[in-house]
Amino acid sequence: MDVALSKNGARVLRAFFVLVVVFLYAPIVILLIFSFNKSQVPAFPLSGFTFQWYRDFFENSDLRGALETSAIVASLTSVGAVLLGILASIALTRRQFRAKPLVSALLLSPLVIPYVVFGISLLLLFHTLGIGNGIPTVFIGHTVITLPYTILVLVPRLEQLDIALEEAAFDLGAGRLRTFLLITLPLILPAILSAFLIAFTTSFDEYAVASFVIGTRVTFPIYLYSALRFPSELPQVIAVAVVVLVVSLIVIVGAEVGRRVAERRFAD
Amino acid sequence: MGRGEGVLRRRFNLTTPSLLGLPLAWLGVFFLLPIAFVALYSFDVYTLYPGAHGFTLAGWRATFHEPIYLRLFWKSVKMSLTVSAIIVLLAYPLAYYLALSGTKRKYILLLLLIAPFLTSYLLRVLAWKVILGDQGVINTFLFWTGVRSPGHPLSQLLYSRFAVMLVLGYIWLPFVALPIFVSLESLDRSLLEAASDLGASRLQAFRRVTLPLSLPGIFAAFLFVFIPTLGEFVTPSLVGGASGYMYGNQIVDLFGTGFPDWETGSVLALFLLVVVAVLTIVFSRFLQPRQVASG
Amino acid sequence: MDTEERRAERRIDRQTLLKWAAAAGGAGVVAGPSGVADAMRALSAAESGRLQVLDWAGYGNDGGQAMFAQYVKAHPNNKPQFTYMTNEADALAKIHAGLKPDLFRPYVGWVKYFATSGLVQPWDTSKISNFKHLNPFMVKAGQYNGKQYGIPEDWGFDAILYRSDTVKPKAKSWGLLYDERYKGKIAWFDDPVENFTIAGLLFGFPDPWNQTDAQLAQSQKFLISKKHLVRTIWASETELDQQFASGDVWIALAWPNDWVQMKAKKLPVVYMHPAVKKQRPIAWVGMFMLLNGTPRPDLAHAYVDAWSSKASAKWLEDNYGYGHANTQARPSSSDLLRVLDLSNPKAVTLPNAYLDRDVPRRALYAKMWEEVKAS
Repeated sequence: MDVALSKNGARVLRAFFVLVVVFLYAPIVILLIFSFNKSQVPAFPLSGFTFQWYRDFFENSDLRGALETSAIVASLTSVGAVLLGILASIALTRRQFRAKPLVSALLLSPLVIPYVVFGISLLLLFHTLGIGNGIPTVFIGHTVITLPYTILVLVPRLEQLDIALEEAAFDLGAGRLRTFLLITLPLILPAILSAFLIAFTTSFDEYAVASFVIGTRVTFPIYLYSALRFPSELPQVIAVAVVVLVVSLIVIVGAEVGRRVAERRFAD
Repeated sequence: MGRGEGVLRRRFNLTTPSLLGLPLAWLGVFFLLPIAFVALYSFDVYTLYPGAHGFTLAGWRATFHEPIYLRLFWKSVKMSLTVSAIIVLLAYPLAYYLALSGTKRKYILLLLLIAPFLTSYLLRVLAWKVILGDQGVINTFLFWTGVRSPGHPLSQLLYSRFAVMLVLGYIWLPFVALPIFVSLESLDRSLLEAASDLGASRLQAFRRVTLPLSLPGIFAAFLFVFIPTLGEFVTPSLVGGASGYMYGNQIVDLFGTGFPDWETGSVLALFLLVVVAVLTIVFSRFLQPRQVASG
Repeated sequence: MDTEERRAERRIDRQTLLKWAAAAGGAGVVAGPSGVADAMRALSAAESGRLQVLDWAGYGNDGGQAMFAQYVKAHPNNKPQFTYMTNEADALAKIHAGLKPDLFRPYVGWVKYFATSGLVQPWDTSKISNFKHLNPFMVKAGQYNGKQYGIPEDWGFDAILYRSDTVKPKAKSWGLLYDERYKGKIAWFDDPVENFTIAGLLFGFPDPWNQTDAQLAQSQKFLISKKHLVRTIWASETELDQQFASGDVWIALAWPNDWVQMKAKKLPVVYMHPAVKKQRPIAWVGMFMLLNGTPRPDLAHAYVDAWSSKASAKWLEDNYGYGHANTQARPSSSDLLRVLDLSNPKAVTLPNAYLDRDVPRRALYAKMWEEVKAS
């Protein structure tokens, strides 16, 4: 006898859950359908099956350039954010200091700043200091945005670890850095990879801040945004959309499952 | 399992600064300093075009002299409040089901729910642009099935306030379920059992036990969607049309199109930031990082 | 910028001033010596390096190559390098921020502003072989104080485009943009000057481009009262085309090219090109302007000459649906010929159209337009 849900209640809620999931995925499925549709305009009735849009998108060098730029920015961002995140997380979980609540609030504060304000603030900063916009400036903006996420992934994992292991290594004479590299790091590796992934995907998809400080280069979201206004490119964009969405879904699900499996294997 | 909150007792206290130095410096220069610049531009200490400048409140006074920008802000607040309230209401039963129905695959299902949120934001907005137009998927489907005649599409689906709120809700719904799920999951079942033993019906147990205890999760969820949508500009610019114009769009316009007015734009941006900061501080106890633990 | 602001206190931030001076090479006391030095350095060295062009999207290597193909052929070592401007104010901001283009292309309403700003210098029209073929009325519009600051290139109209099958206008008038019967089907153009001048024309103000405070307030009140009729406020042409083609919008302020595009999609559309009483369209002309202190003035002249050629003119008309100032060129489309009234050299001025002009209170117009959008 379940105290929280009756059998009927569970059935209703399950149906509701299914409905919502369908609602969430339906637009993606619709995009999938129309990515193979022969017409330039996504509308019913369907006009026939074609791979043309996928072919067009592979041959679209502007699009490839945008994907490349985004990949570069995202890679740099994830490396930077994870490095900074590791430093910060260790300090938060392994050190005691009085300003901890304040510091942790500061480290997490980029989570709550509206991106429009942050984007503008960077624009003003770089403009006033005379720094040109481009990949480095987007890298800077994205590391700030993704740093809280990496911390939020790393801190729980670091807290989970049995500190006795580290202390043992310490007592045996290993320096702090060696302890970290030989003991802590391998144990938090799955979390680090998770953090990488989150930072990467966040940066790859980020439009708002990038639009302010990208200068003349084009990242994938920026390309998408302007392509949304070019009807002739719409079918290609849909094809890209499907590819990106499906790939990212697979990656996310795969990574999460992988992480849990890996952590369970590392568990004491 | 030991708690990691312990201290690696060590001699010199150089570790903390050396660990925190880089991240804090990074944020100081690239997060706090830029915000300071927004303030400085709003006070005319810096200007876009050469001309008179020096600290002055003129920009602030001029911007808020007319109620127009405040009214736009209020419009955005109302839209965000509506969206946030609705999707929190929708997300609660989802989280409840996952956390309390005893289903074995709850984490997989949670992932299934959250996954769309982790894919591309723009692409999901694109999907709705394709779906909502006068000749979009919904309308042409209605024409095709004869429910509506061509020439009488369901207008106002796209380029409207409705479109903005629908899309924003769609985007954020998965994310909102997470904090509620976390707080429901950590619910002590024995409390419910006790209530049941004392004769409470399920509904009563819910109202008296579950709901109050999950309130922090609800608040957190609400804030997690309310705060970002306040400053939204991407969705409104893609599906909002003239009537879906929000506060964030105004700020962007002042920095981009037409005749850039960095002073007014900075004033508006700083205003938004102050409101968000106040909200965050006041409700900070509901925004515990722990409640957003990954997965 | 507003004359009031220019007359204002000159407590200019040193860094900004130096940047501005470097770009303009001629304004202000501090700028003086460095500006002259720049010029002298340019004279002593042969013009070298890539030509720095600040232009609108679609006119560079992103599709506009045909416009300057002649130049590239003649000067293969000085190929143009493009930075894109989203509008004139953006160009202004970029120049102030230190961008050093050799030439750029604002529209006719900004000629006086830039001419008096110290940022540009007049052209030597003797160096432009195609100059004599350019429409004399447009050429005149590019002059200030007798000097040729702007070389006219593309041109067109702002007029109302509407669906003839669903829209029955009461009169050929600007009023259609504010017609209550078509609520939710109207698109305005995202530009402060356009919207206020149209309101001004509707009200019959003596000079809609230079309205008084009271007139501006009246125009603004009117626009705000009509905003609920508007479905979208478009900023990019392709956006408008998409909305029109999909049937989301039936009435819009549009350019001749949009009319051509919609006809190509077989939509029944009418471009309101009235010469009926007071409701004439507004005309605009793009003007190449030469930056002060450019190290490559001769190359810039050559570039403009290529742009002004008959071949480029025809390409522009055929592909972008704009008119071109070169009077020898004729587009392939007779539709375009008609809607642009291309055989009439006075097409862009009264009595046929209101040529866009300098707006002294532009910043104020902009501010009031933002308030309309916010309402």
